[in-house]
Amino acid sequence: MERRASSQVGSRELTIAICGNPNCGKTTLFNALTGLSQKVGNYPGVTVEKTTGSFEVENRPDLRFHLVDIPGSYSLSAFSPDEYIATQVLCGEIAGAPRPDLILCVIDATNLERGLYLLFQAVEVGRPVVVALNMVDLAERHGIMIDRIRLEELLPGIPVVPVVASKGRGIESLKSVLAEVADRPNPAGISAYDDQERQMAEKLASQATGQQRTNAQFLRILFDKGGTAESAFLESDEAGRRAVLEDFRRIITEKYGALSVGETGPLTQRATTIARAVVSAPTGKLQTKSERIDRILMHPFLGPAILVAIMIFMFQSVFSWAEPAMHFIDTAFGSLAGYVEAAMIEGPLRSLVVDGIIGGVGSVLVFLPQIVILFLFISLLEDSGYMPRAAFLVDRLFGWCGLSGKSFVPMLSSFACAVPGIMATRTIENRKLRIMTILIAPLMSCSARLPVYTIMIAAFIPFHSYFGLFNSRGLVLTGLYILGMVLAVLISFLLNRLLFRQERATFMMDMPSYMTPTPRSILIRIYTRVKSFVARAGTVILAITIVIWALSYYPRPQDLAAEFDRRETEIRNRYQSSQAALQTPVLESSARDELARLNLEEGGTYLRNSYFGRIGRFVTPAFEPLGWDWKITMATLASFPAREVVIATLGTIYNLGAQEDETSSSLIDKMRQARWEDGPKVGQPVFTPAVALSIMVFFALCAQCGATLVTIRHETAGWRYSLAAFLYMTILAYFAALATYQIFSRVGFL
Amino acid sequence: MTYLDKLRPGQSARVIGYRTDGPVARRLAELGLTPGRYIRYLRDAPLRDPLHIQIGSGSLSLRHEQAALVAVEIEEA
Repeated sequence: MERRASSQVGSRELTIAICGNPNCGKTTLFNALTGLSQKVGNYPGVTVEKTTGSFEVENRPDLRFHLVDIPGSYSLSAFSPDEYIATQVLCGEIAGAPRPDLILCVIDATNLERGLYLLFQAVEVGRPVVVALNMVDLAERHGIMIDRIRLEELLPGIPVVPVVASKGRGIESLKSVLAEVADRPNPAGISAYDDQERQMAEKLASQATGQQRTNAQFLRILFDKGGTAESAFLESDEAGRRAVLEDFRRIITEKYGALSVGETGPLTQRATTIARAVVSAPTGKLQTKSERIDRILMHPFLGPAILVAIMIFMFQSVFSWAEPAMHFIDTAFGSLAGYVEAAMIEGPLRSLVVDGIIGGVGSVLVFLPQIVILFLFISLLEDSGYMPRAAFLVDRLFGWCGLSGKSFVPMLSSFACAVPGIMATRTIENRKLRIMTILIAPLMSCSARLPVYTIMIAAFIPFHSYFGLFNSRGLVLTGLYILGMVLAVLISFLLNRLLFRQERATFMMDMPSYMTPTPRSILIRIYTRVKSFVARAGTVILAITIVIWALSYYPRPQDLAAEFDRRETEIRNRYQSSQAALQTPVLESSARDELARLNLEEGGTYLRNSYFGRIGRFVTPAFEPLGWDWKITMATLASFPAREVVIATLGTIYNLGAQEDETSSSLIDKMRQARWEDGPKVGQPVFTPAVALSIMVFFALCAQCGATLVTIRHETAGWRYSLAAFLYMTILAYFAALATYQIFSRVGFL
Repeated sequence: MTYLDKLRPGQSARVIGYRTDGPVARRLAELGLTPGRYIRYLRDAPLRDPLHIQIGSGSLSLRHEQAALVAVEIEEA
């Protein structure tokens, strides 16, 4: 983050890092302080989000604070590079993120002891620290009283500001305290560790002269047996440093009984001592409201039942609220395209704007209603505290294939749209689990596949009723969804065994108290996510769409163009001459019809002869074992950036124009009438039930969504996993579709 | 003395220590399962795993596998 040169004399810009336990209301406080100024980015090389924002203090025009959010953690002891980021940011090790001038530690008043644990790690960084004691209202309701004065006495040099971030209370006093500390910065002078450990850290520091590190980092290195911090330290002068390190560790182990106790023990002790002195809570079996709610929501029968109900409600909402909105956007863009088409002269530019740009942008924006609604639900579930309960209920099921209960909501969302589902995997701290969930999320049949299923089933799956209850069409649809789920389980099982080598992942989850989500927080969250999606996916998808447009538009052979011109002229001449003879208006409309049909045929012919068409026909032999002719192959290839495109492409190929959708009876008719033009099956229908099934299976399993791949890239900080997802799903789809066709073309029961 | 996974819903206990000394133990400590804390076993998930315990004014859920690492002393109500 660059410090912007201020125009005011004597004005300062300071960086504050905000840290705290998960669920302590840190994000709410962050939002309350920075509002919409916040930006979300990525730290280089890791999947952790970098959220920054800024704010000013009333009556202090000379100060500007930049706030950096540190991912919520219970401690700064890190194993994975993702967790290590927190320490690195606090210590100023990250390029582009200067060492913070101040640390704001958010502590949940209902869980002071745990918050103090983190605080005592943060003070080792050596910067001034301010504590925001959040959720004091919730604490009061639980009967928990905290003696703030005494707390400040026991934390010399650290101001404690009570706030209720969700209601905006205490924010202004927090800001002025931060301003005061900025004026007179004093590193927090307390430490939970003994002099002995601190001296050891200093000794390590003196050894590592080239590396600029804080005391906190050296303490971490001391305890980080076999971890990231240790390996960074031992990079050079291995033998000498290692010996010193081992020696220190031996001493600590003797003193405390175990190395990990050496690290956590002093912190826990200090935290507990202070908490005992400062907190008065009703002892005895206080049954909190959360516990009462948990009795229902985590009940062995009611729990799962309510969960299922919530799932169904979520889906219903997507389909009833998002669908009309998506339709509206679709229509709006269609009208826009029509308007532009009428306003511009025919030619490549018009086609680029209408088919390429408007089409491309439209296909991104049409995602928005779903994403917004899904994020609304996900945010509500997360902020209310229900999410861990849902994970609790389903963890056993997911644990079997190597995932955990936390994968539940991401996978569920992916049934509507994988984009928010993949973004929702942020709650999974374990990096391997997270990547596994991300890789199999696209296998959940999303709503974009539905139009393909609909049209293929309606057109080519004959209707049979079974037992008066089921019918063949419903069964095929259900089967496609189940196919995705079954394969997801298998693949995660395989990934777990072969690649990710997970010893059954640990699952330890904090269950926060239930809270009423704040509308402001949720809206900010949705807005930030949507904005970043549109910016990222928008540019990539637009680029791909334009490339495909170019490949489908060119070449325009002169002789073909001339031929169509000739036919157009011929129709017009015929019309004009008959007009002169009789004045029947009937002829005018039939001439218009003829011209329209000619236009569509022209579009279809150009498409078939374009580079894209040639590629399609070239690749077709590879898809013949799937039962596909070149038109199907080409339409499928065209839909790689976005699945829904396949129907429009089929429409164009069959000379019906690109505005066909899954309800189009004319497209269905055309497909039913389609016959093989050459080859061994010449004359036979192209679309048989077996072919329809193989098409649907391919679409069910293939990663034909540019938006998803871009989202994966963003969430995993690299294209590696997007590529992996794309490759494995395409190969899977190919062979599954092949098997489907080969089997069902022989078994004649459909 | 017994281990956390052996408790039954409704029982209260005091944490004594851990069976291991690795990252898992550290995570447990960070989450609040430190020696001397009181916990109350609340419930098992419908399929038995994971389990849910109350600790202080909050609660935690963890799998039996991890709970088996925590040594506790049952407190008679």
